[in-house]
Amino acid sequence: MLSLLLQIQAPPSNLPFLYAALAVSWAIFFLYAFWISRRQEELKKEIRELREYLDHRES
Amino acid sequence: MSVRYGLLGLAMVLMLADLYLISMVAPTDSVLGHVQRIFYFHVPIAVISFLAFFLVFLASVVYLVRRTPVWDRMARSSAEVGVVFVTLALLTGVIWARPVWNTWWTWEPRLTTTLILWLIYVAYLMIRSYAPNRQKGALYAAVVGIVGFVDVPIVYYSVIWWRSIHPSPVVGPLAGADALNPTMLLVLLFSFFTFLVFFIYLTVERMALGEAEEDLLEARFAIRRAEG
Repeated sequence: MLSLLLQIQAPPSNLPFLYAALAVSWAIFFLYAFWISRRQEELKKEIRELREYLDHRES
Repeated sequence: MSVRYGLLGLAMVLMLADLYLISMVAPTDSVLGHVQRIFYFHVPIAVISFLAFFLVFLASVVYLVRRTPVWDRMARSSAEVGVVFVTLALLTGVIWARPVWNTWWTWEPRLTTTLILWLIYVAYLMIRSYAPNRQKGALYAAVVGIVGFVDVPIVYYSVIWWRSIHPSPVVGPLAGADALNPTMLLVLLFSFFTFLVFFIYLTVERMALGEAEEDLLEARFAIRRAEG
């Protein structure tokens, strides 16, 4: 009887849904932050190369 | 650079503390169970996406008045980060809806208006990509950034304007004084702060990326000019 009452009153855990929401959130945030950081490095490298090319041309 | 690293470090520490508070300190909801803990990041993410679009609105107005590139860069950065946040608000909402409403998606007012919000700001980003030049792209996008913001209050008030199965707001003018118990409120406020710091970090980084993109365009232009 007690176990039946506990089954009725205990809220459902649905933990996989909680883990899925957490995983999706942090994965997308970190992927986006990683993409920004990587793109910044690529652009900095390209700008440096173009400036060196310009300096070389002018000299 | 050190400020950006500082923000990233602070965001990381806050995220770990937030995860601890969400899983260990926040009480388990007596009706929904553990899945209700999605609330502590679903709500802050959604509200911060509104903040992002408000920044797009403000920066767009200032850009149209002053035409200085820094405001356009700010509007673009906020819009892109805002799209990431609203995408996550939709995804976490969908994951939460499945066990609670027994469906992944339903065309009810809050979900539908949020999807429209997502489409507006995806269109905002697309307009920039497809515009004939950078100045025109910035101009068209500023207009969309101002007009598109109209959907934000519609999303917020949708749960009282139309019949909705979505819960009523727990923050802002529509929130009741006793909408949350004190522990839940404390964890929610901490989550807000955590995601706000992360939002600031992402926006600052995206603005730096925008500046680098502009520098690159200038360098390419200088080379073309030098080569005649």
